[in-house]
Amino acid sequence: MFLAHINPLQASIFSSLAVASLLLTFVMLGSHWLRNYVYAFAVQSWLIAALSASVGYFAGYPELYLIAILTALFRGLVLPFLLTRIIARLNVKREIHTVLQPSSSLVLGAFLVMFAFVIANHMNRQSLLAAHVVVLALTIMFSMKFLGFLMLSVRDEAVSQILGLLVLENGIFLGAQILVPGMPLLIEIVILFDLLIVVACFGMLVRFLVVHAGTTSSRQLNRLVG
Amino acid sequence: MILPDIFLQILQVLCVLLLAPLLQGFILKIEERVQRSRGPSLFQPYRDLWKLFHKECVAPESASWIYFTAPMVAFTAMLTVPILIPVLTDRPLPLSDMGDMLGGGLILTLGSFAIILAGLDTGNAYGGIGSSRAVMLTILAEPTLILVLVGISLLAKAMLPFVVNHLLLGSLSIYWSPAHLFLILAFLSLLLVETDRLPVHSSTHLEIYMIDEARILEYSGPLLALLKWASMMKQVILYTIFCNVFLLPWRMSQIGTPLGELGSLATLMIKFLLVALTVVVIETVQSRLRFYRYQEPLAAGFLFAVLAIVSSQLL
Repeated sequence: MFLAHINPLQASIFSSLAVASLLLTFVMLGSHWLRNYVYAFAVQSWLIAALSASVGYFAGYPELYLIAILTALFRGLVLPFLLTRIIARLNVKREIHTVLQPSSSLVLGAFLVMFAFVIANHMNRQSLLAAHVVVLALTIMFSMKFLGFLMLSVRDEAVSQILGLLVLENGIFLGAQILVPGMPLLIEIVILFDLLIVVACFGMLVRFLVVHAGTTSSRQLNRLVG
Repeated sequence: MILPDIFLQILQVLCVLLLAPLLQGFILKIEERVQRSRGPSLFQPYRDLWKLFHKECVAPESASWIYFTAPMVAFTAMLTVPILIPVLTDRPLPLSDMGDMLGGGLILTLGSFAIILAGLDTGNAYGGIGSSRAVMLTILAEPTLILVLVGISLLAKAMLPFVVNHLLLGSLSIYWSPAHLFLILAFLSLLLVETDRLPVHSSTHLEIYMIDEARILEYSGPLLALLKWASMMKQVILYTIFCNVFLLPWRMSQIGTPLGELGSLATLMIKFLLVALTVVVIETVQSRLRFYRYQEPLAAGFLFAVLAIVSSQLL
């Protein structure tokens, strides 16, 4: 395993990229505007692409370069493009009825990060410097998953729910890049196509919502219609 | 020649006392320049203070002793804090161990507590509103402040600002560690709130959303001058802590020669310049938040402080 003999420079590069992508998740959580979510997601995907390229370079996995290119292309360009198209067609620019105010969700997110850190710390079995990177990667992976769940549960707009799913997936991907860098290429491609299908399905769902419920907020779907 | 320690300590207090109006004037001037108008002179705050000290003191009939003592308490508190923090020298001077960072925070809060009481004292409606808003902000800012202090003490294993300064001087890897960078961001959001800047405070004072101005609306003459000077000094103290302890710990006088102190003063002014320019940029791009969204910048600060603590555990 290459994390067992990682040097401080690599450790700092990996951790700064991972921490920056965690911060971008908080940008999504703390903002009202749908467009900001998409931009933050795009930048986050570029950071993850940079991360997988650097892991590929330092650990000697040439296929990770291809994954990096695919990530930047699909998650960094195609998905944000599709999402901005969906947003542009809707008349929704921001979340209006939030269950949780952005400030409270930031504070809740901070506690989730602490929880993720506690879990990651329990799972750690590595030696000193590797432990630093492993715990950091695990913490950030878990916290991005929790924050994705948080976005899914406290946001009503369909677009922010898609982004919640995508953030969740980005978190898993980020952790996997650092912890098990030799993930087969085929799985990665499958996941990328999955994501495309998710966004396409949500696009359909949004259309359906607009036509049948007259709104894109999933709040309207809570009522039973007999 | 090495200056005696007690002289250096007095010099630190004098430095904060005399630089405070200059910093305020500089920020006001640059803000106006950014908006393409000329702005007041750099030395206008000095002239204002001079003018106010030469006016007579008019007090409302409902004022009690709290009204008259609050400005002295606030001003004295701001004179005390520079003894505890590294302003010019990066080593502890004789009285610096009177209190650590928590002690400094206590004295700073004591000053604003006195002003809050004074705002309530006269029974003026605006004073009450200002005091209640200020208390709400203090309540929101306090957890962040405490967490920043906890983060610093986890990083440096000490609560003394001098130790933190030496730690950051000593190793670049700690300076660039995520824990320290998050602490800088958290302290920056506190700095903006505590020095009456946007996005929480309005840029033009004396309007319906005022917070700090509302508390001192009843004051006039020398007492008003003391209060204004105290708030400018609070700004300088927070800037000093931000620069010398968190952001730019370099180039401070170590031995205490006159030349070294002068150089330390000059670099302090350059550091203030950089931070003030950052603050002006933030004030220019940000609009004021609605009253019920005050907690957002502070929640962001809290988040940064929590992240700092989590990442300091990773080291």
